[in-house]
Amino acid sequence: MIETMISVNNLLKKYNGVPVVNNLNFSVQKGEVFGLLGPNGAGKTTTLECIEGMRKSDGGEINISGFNIQQQEKEIRKILGIQLQVASLPENLHPKEAMQLICGWNGQQVRLDLLKRFGLESLSNKQYGQMSTGQKRRLHLALALACNPTIVILDEPTAGLDVQGRAELHEAVRELKDKNTTIILATHDMSEAESLCDRIAIMIQGQIATIGTPAQITSAARRETRITLLTQNNSLLPGHDIGDAHFSKEKDGYGVWTSKDTANAVIALLNNVRHNEDKVIDLRVERPSLEEAFLDLIEGGQ
Amino acid sequence: MNILFRHLIIQFKIDIRDNGTLMTYYFVPLLFYFVMGAVFSSVNPISRETLAASMTIFSVTMGAVLGMPAPIVRMYESGVLRGFKVYGIPAWAVFFIQGISTGLHLTIVSLVIFFTAPLFYGANIVVNIPAYFVTLTVLLFTMLAIGLLIGVLARSQSVAMMLSQVVFLPTMMLGGIMFPAELLPEPLRILGQLLPATYIMQAFTDSAYNLHTTLSTIPALIITLGIGFIAIICSIIRYKTIARSL
Repeated sequence: MIETMISVNNLLKKYNGVPVVNNLNFSVQKGEVFGLLGPNGAGKTTTLECIEGMRKSDGGEINISGFNIQQQEKEIRKILGIQLQVASLPENLHPKEAMQLICGWNGQQVRLDLLKRFGLESLSNKQYGQMSTGQKRRLHLALALACNPTIVILDEPTAGLDVQGRAELHEAVRELKDKNTTIILATHDMSEAESLCDRIAIMIQGQIATIGTPAQITSAARRETRITLLTQNNSLLPGHDIGDAHFSKEKDGYGVWTSKDTANAVIALLNNVRHNEDKVIDLRVERPSLEEAFLDLIEGGQ
Repeated sequence: MNILFRHLIIQFKIDIRDNGTLMTYYFVPLLFYFVMGAVFSSVNPISRETLAASMTIFSVTMGAVLGMPAPIVRMYESGVLRGFKVYGIPAWAVFFIQGISTGLHLTIVSLVIFFTAPLFYGANIVVNIPAYFVTLTVLLFTMLAIGLLIGVLARSQSVAMMLSQVVFLPTMMLGGIMFPAELLPEPLRILGQLLPATYIMQAFTDSAYNLHTTLSTIPALIITLGIGFIAIICSIIRYKTIARSL
């Protein structure tokens, strides 16, 4: 049975009377990785802060694992693990001490295993101010998981990380998912969202512009599928429209066609190749990426 | 181990690792004490009568009023309080433990002065040791309360430094620490009566050294404690605003 862990109903949040999150509705299921995407100022962080209880909403209702955020904040804090977009620790604090403090204040056994899991064991006596951005991010994630949360909220967790750091963090998110942890991930990184998230909501101007799986969102994009074809005798070049395939350009001997009806376009192109007694050397079919779908939505929203 | 106690130990270590804190809690007050103690005791032998008390007031005021607000403001500015809040550490505990930790550092400095002033500079030996330490406790409480108030009032470190100086400099000049308040012109002497250091100096002089003062110990301590409590109440009011905005 599907268990709803987070439900946001008609959420409203205003700053100085101006709504930055307006009539927002979505829900997140148990064990799901839910991505929250949107341009700067779309209201992602404000939405997360309302869910975290860091900001009081001006309307609507948020329920987390059956608890109401307005009335049962203490209970919710026990099941939430939060990695803020901007957070810090005292410059002279050691990671081990940070873990001792957080576990101590939450009545938990000190989770030094998490420092080991995130490769911070050898840095346990290094001062926070001397750690790299990646090390700090990993420490904050380890601290967010210190109290065995069933729901984890990650706000731009890979911002400022190098390739290796991002890969490590992605692996950690997948591990959490394997343990059936519910995750909300706010990110600007489309490839990250596409590879990690089960479902994605794209926010524009405080509202959800679209919601669905990455495949659903990309297939609904206005952009067409790109078909790139190289043949032995270049019999389709110079190019022209063939059936549903619209010729776009020629590049390095390849012909590029676009189409909304991918299957029929590919069949039409291959039939033409056969008809010309030519031979296919290379064929690529590229659906619009999530990034392109995102850009379509932004342009549409503006 | 109680988490408050464990947090206090960690905070104490954090303070020790911070160069700025070491400077304002230990290095500058003790350097001032060693240099000025020698100068005062040779230029003005009468200053030896209350040398330990006056140097202790200087050190505690410097540590609490100049030293403590900076880390508090830094925690607010850099998002440390916000970070602690999401990890389940209440902001009140962070402030409270910062105050206690600072108090411990300043107690150490005060003890160094208490034990070395008679040895190094021939300062008068305290005649009523319990009264000396009761007065020291009141001094610590009030100065830490003022330091905390500055820390929660200031929204930036530069503002905190300015507010600290507004309290620290008059305390040094008008509080009867560097020279007797009776030597000051009337308007400045009245101004000095707004400062807790004026009263605490009277309390030290009367109770711990059994010397003549214009105000006896009990009213002096009550006034000093009153200033401390007012500072604490104002800090709590201001803290509520901070806690809401995290």
